[in-house]
Amino acid sequence: MAKRVAPHVRTFDVAIIGAGVVGAAIARELAHFELSILLIDAKSDVGAGTSKANTAILHTGFDMVPGSLESRLVSRGYALLRDYAREVGISFESCGALLVAWNDEELANLSKIQEKAIANGYHETYLVGVDALYAKEPHLGSGALGALAVPGEWIIDPWSTTLAYATQAKSAGAILQLNTRVERISQSAHLHTLHTNQGEFEARYLVNAAGLYSDVIDAEFGFEDFVVTPRRGELMVFDKLARSLVSHILLPVPSSMGKGVLVSPTVFGNVMLGPTAENLSDKRATESSIAGLAFLQEKGRKIMPALLDEEITAIYAGLRAATEHPDFQISLHAPQRYVTVGGIRSTGLTASMAIAEHVRDLLTTSGLDLGQQGDLPAIHIPALGESGVRPYLNDELIAATPSYGEIVCHCERVTRGEIDAAMISPIPPRDQAALGRRTRATLGRCQGFYCHAEVRALLENAGGAL
Amino acid sequence: MKVSGVDLLIVGAGPAGLAAAIAAKQSGLSRVRVIEREREAGGVPRHSFHTGYGMRDLHRVMNGPRYAARYISHTLDSGAEISTSTTAIDWVGERTIALTSPRGLEEVTADRIILATGARERGRNARVVAGTRPAGIYTTGSLQQSVYLRHQEIGSRAVIIGAEHVSFSAVMTLAHANVETVAMLTSEAHHQSYFPLHWGTALRYRYSLRTKTELLEILGRDRVSGVRVLTPRGEEVIECDTVVFSADWIPDHELARRGGLQMSDVTKSPIVNHLHETSRAGVYAIGNLLLPIKSADQCALEGSSLLSKNW
Ligand SMILES: Cc1cc2nc3c(=O)[nH]c(=O)nc-3n(C[C@H](O)[C@H](O)[C@H](O)COP(=O)(O)OP(=O)(O)OC[C@H]3O[C@@H](n4cnc5c(N)ncnc54)[C@H](O)[C@@H]3O)c2cc1C
Ligand SMILES: Cc1cc2nc3c(=O)[nH]c(=O)nc-3n(C[C@H](O)[C@H](O)[C@H](O)COP(=O)(O)OP(=O)(O)OC[C@H]3O[C@@H](n4cnc5c(N)ncnc54)[C@H](O)[C@@H]3O)c2cc1C
Repeated sequence: MAKRVAPHVRTFDVAIIGAGVVGAAIARELAHFELSILLIDAKSDVGAGTSKANTAILHTGFDMVPGSLESRLVSRGYALLRDYAREVGISFESCGALLVAWNDEELANLSKIQEKAIANGYHETYLVGVDALYAKEPHLGSGALGALAVPGEWIIDPWSTTLAYATQAKSAGAILQLNTRVERISQSAHLHTLHTNQGEFEARYLVNAAGLYSDVIDAEFGFEDFVVTPRRGELMVFDKLARSLVSHILLPVPSSMGKGVLVSPTVFGNVMLGPTAENLSDKRATESSIAGLAFLQEKGRKIMPALLDEEITAIYAGLRAATEHPDFQISLHAPQRYVTVGGIRSTGLTASMAIAEHVRDLLTTSGLDLGQQGDLPAIHIPALGESGVRPYLNDELIAATPSYGEIVCHCERVTRGEIDAAMISPIPPRDQAALGRRTRATLGRCQGFYCHAEVRALLENAGGAL
Repeated sequence: MKVSGVDLLIVGAGPAGLAAAIAAKQSGLSRVRVIEREREAGGVPRHSFHTGYGMRDLHRVMNGPRYAARYISHTLDSGAEISTSTTAIDWVGERTIALTSPRGLEEVTADRIILATGARERGRNARVVAGTRPAGIYTTGSLQQSVYLRHQEIGSRAVIIGAEHVSFSAVMTLAHANVETVAMLTSEAHHQSYFPLHWGTALRYRYSLRTKTELLEILGRDRVSGVRVLTPRGEEVIECDTVVFSADWIPDHELARRGGLQMSDVTKSPIVNHLHETSRAGVYAIGNLLLPIKSADQCALEGSSLLSKNW
């Protein structure tokens, strides 16, 4: 277990900049050992950067560049996260993917992708003929010619993943420092000093998991190994009443710009359409664009026309931390006692736990003495997915705590009991979006028509903002 | 889990559902139960504090909460039961519905079921509006609850999207919260309300109605800072800190669809005959669940006349 530090202590064995899924996973991994750990993020919540806005697929790594670091970490991360999700109660569904070919070229490509999957160590793919394809997905638009099935591609709850890592790290003694932006870093012989808007923190070892800003942090050390280009991915989420239209993740045959536009169920019982892929210069450009939304609707209409008749409940955009290199940019700068974790572009959710192991090993080679390994405190994350029994359907739970039968957010069927529990959890939500990531409240079809005011009042009473 | 039975189960305690309950009791049905998922019955009028309710059914005009209170007390006087904080979650039989509430799960079987689940305004995402996702975005429904039920801080300058009856209700609600309405936008050539209503509110509250104007994008990071619009003269940014999406109704049809009732492609409401019967025997639909949108008194009259027509 991590070394517990007194509240006033500002010097740590390891500091991690960035509490996205990657930084949180690293904090959790290091929390197994006798280290004092500081996890810092500029935002008011963990996982509030790119980690909150992705397509939430647990990737097998079948289409990675064989032999790359990403290939290795995605396939290892897949197994680790799958087991972890089972252990702590993160929702996932083993729906599998179908890579749908819409023209002869794509059809011919399927067998090449199958070979690539084997080169990546994934052997379970198989070709699906056109009739079998439409039998599996009767609402698929017309014109598909066949598919490659990748049964191991699953969907997972991305929000609870980051939250679970951070919660477990915190329960093990790591210090989570939110609302804290690292503005400058200075070095002395044995310590890094992080100058932040909340004063100074010191650390013997430093991990840069700053996502889109990993190049900016690197620049503090004078490193120019890569430049992060935010690659925007816009997404649309359709109403739960659309869920029965689709059973698998429907992937396009990949192109060089990314994985292309997919239609996928979500563990929350919605259907997702997206993402786009567009290189930008502004690292804050998470707005959606008129052109992007029109493009998605056009693509969606081809992949699954019936989907477009359903209501859209959410639209958002995530920024992939793309670099000029095709692979993850993870490197140890031993003399500086510093590890950069950059370029975690489109697979960071899946790879997170494997990245964390890798970073742990890099820190050890640079001389960090981890001390004894211990067990982390067991945690349990409230399951937000539709595959389990939600609280409003759990008669025993309601009998014990009637507020679990009091639905506040009607569209997502979130009860007061769940909201109350989130408010007193180890990492409580500070705004409506954060509460949404913990409970799904206000994320449904009415977009607050019914419950916005009530949820806002609950948050304001608990000391949060709107 | 509890199991129960009634003669008539009504889902939704808005004007339509409550009026139907009263009429059902008056026509002699003995066990009539209304299910309402909110803590209080009354439906939308519960949080609609401006005047304009009751003309056709109660023959006097009053504000929404008063109107709702009238219907609630009439319903209780009639001997019908209202179960609040109770959600009808799904069908478990032809005319059996599963409920959840702080008292636990329950399955109710009824001879007849009336769906009166109402309609809501489409929000920003459902209208596929591009831009940032800052605080300060409402529908008229959520705005009214924030202002009247919770007295929450709103902002200072608002733009209203849509120019139907309900949009004028948004103007009045904003004024009550000391928020200036700077513009009301509609992509149509005219507003879609009564002229007196428009002229009255426009004169009193001094906003500009911008016809043939389309909302392109929402601006602002943490808080709305404006909207980019397309007018006949070109693009323009209107500065504001609040955006209210009004009208553009969608029926709350989840239960109807989960039950596999036949639905209209156009209105997305269940299809009913002149007796308000849906495609399933013994299951009826009334009120704003059946679009186009109606005023509360029309919904209530639909609820009360259902019984005289049918049973
Ligand atoms: C559209 C899209 C779809 C995707 N789909 C998938 C998918 O299906 N499956 C999958 O596995 N992956 C997917 N990904 C990738 C995955 O989301 C990312 O790889 C992952 O979230 C990266 O996590 P991170 O922790 O590195 O970055 P982030 O989540 O961005 O975290 C970095 C954190 O650092 C903080 N920070 C930065 N600078 C500072 C500073 N100076 N001081 C303090 N804090 C700072 C930020 O506030 C931020 O919270 C997708 C990504 C996108 C955009
Ligand atoms: C902002 C605004 C201002 C308005 N101003 C006026 C006005 O001035 N004058 C006027 O006449 N009309 C006005 N109207 C219209 C009027 O409010 C509606 O016509 C009327 O409320 C519709 O009645 P209803 O019973 O069909 O539905 P609603 O009033 O919407 O009631 C439906 C009820 O069903 C409940 N429900 C839904 N699903 C379930 C479920 N699964 N389980 C349990 N309960 C469920 C809901 O919680 C709700 O209480 C206004 C509407 C709005 C939104």
